[in-house]
Amino acid sequence: MKKIFNGLFYGLKFLLFVVAFGLTLFILIRMNMRLNKDFTSIISEFIPFVILLILFIVNLLFKQKNISKNLFYNLTCCLVLSTIIVVALRSLLDTNMVLNEKYGYGVDFNFFDNFIPYIKIMLYGLSIADILFMFREKDNDKIKDEKKV
Amino acid sequence: MKKILLEYASMLAFTVTGLIFGLSFFLLFINFYHMEELAETVDIASYNDTNKASIEAKINQIKNNISVYEQSNYRGSLNIYGLNTVKSRLENCIEIIESDDMMKYFDLDQIGINDSYNFTIDFRNRILNDCLVMQVTSIINTDTVESLPNFSLIKPYIQIDLNNLLNSYNYVQNNIENSDHYYFTTETNKTNFFDLTEDSYTETMNNYQSALDLLVEISNWYRYTVIGG
Repeated sequence: MKKIFNGLFYGLKFLLFVVAFGLTLFILIRMNMRLNKDFTSIISEFIPFVILLILFIVNLLFKQKNISKNLFYNLTCCLVLSTIIVVALRSLLDTNMVLNEKYGYGVDFNFFDNFIPYIKIMLYGLSIADILFMFREKDNDKIKDEKKV
Repeated sequence: MKKILLEYASMLAFTVTGLIFGLSFFLLFINFYHMEELAETVDIASYNDTNKASIEAKINQIKNNISVYEQSNYRGSLNIYGLNTVKSRLENCIEIIESDDMMKYFDLDQIGINDSYNFTIDFRNRILNDCLVMQVTSIINTDTVESLPNFSLIKPYIQIDLNNLLNSYNYVQNNIENSDHYYFTTETNKTNFFDLTEDSYTETMNNYQSALDLLVEISNWYRYTVIGG
């Protein structure tokens, strides 16, 4: 049962990552277009996404079992990415948002802008946890090697 | 030593993951909670009926008061330019109040946060700006009206009421606009969110009634001035 859930969350986190990244990119680009700002000004907002993506790829390439089989970490990843998606969808689709209707941009930038610091905190947190779990991986490998000897 | 450090790293990794789990869990559910709060609707059918009756009665009273003067039939000694100005300005105000833009709110049985906000904005644009600022302020600043009997007595009261009404919508409008931001819910915020739709609508309706009361007072003065003169 645990294996099934873990496999589910592990696969789901990649899918959710793509959707969360896509929606965030869409909203920030629209926000920049509205403000006539250069695209480079929003690059810093995507650094945590890029770091996390690199770590996910490293986990995948090196088949790090302590991360891929870590149900709690994978569940947290899914929860964080779902939260980003929910907030992005709300800023796009929630018609009860007064400022969304007032400005008529189709995106409630004020609402999404409030959430950007939380996105950064959560994504950096996941990256730090991922790196720390990598050390655990090394430690476990060594123990296995010692047992074999 | 290295093993202890690696143990600590593992512990730290779980702690960070746990904290992020808590934060995202909180943010996810506060979003659903906030979404529910903003989607809340309030039944105002009976409240609207009462207010509609009251507003119609006031409009009729203003119409009756200003109907005592007709330039073609007037045989009095007062300045007809002043009397014409007051009458036409009050008629313009009545036209605004009776417009579909304002009356549509009285047909609503239920309102959401957007209706409350739109009512506040329409009240500001149509009643405060188009009627009170454009019409009533014009009455005050017209020399021919100044010369009418007893106008100098009611003028300070009109100005005080005008100033009060012109500042009345700010709080309501800003409060609704802030409802898009939830931050961390406190007891005070919670109370505000729950009452935001209904309280904002009620507050604007009270200001609307006060604006009409002011017009009724001006029309009463006008009636007695015309009859007396």
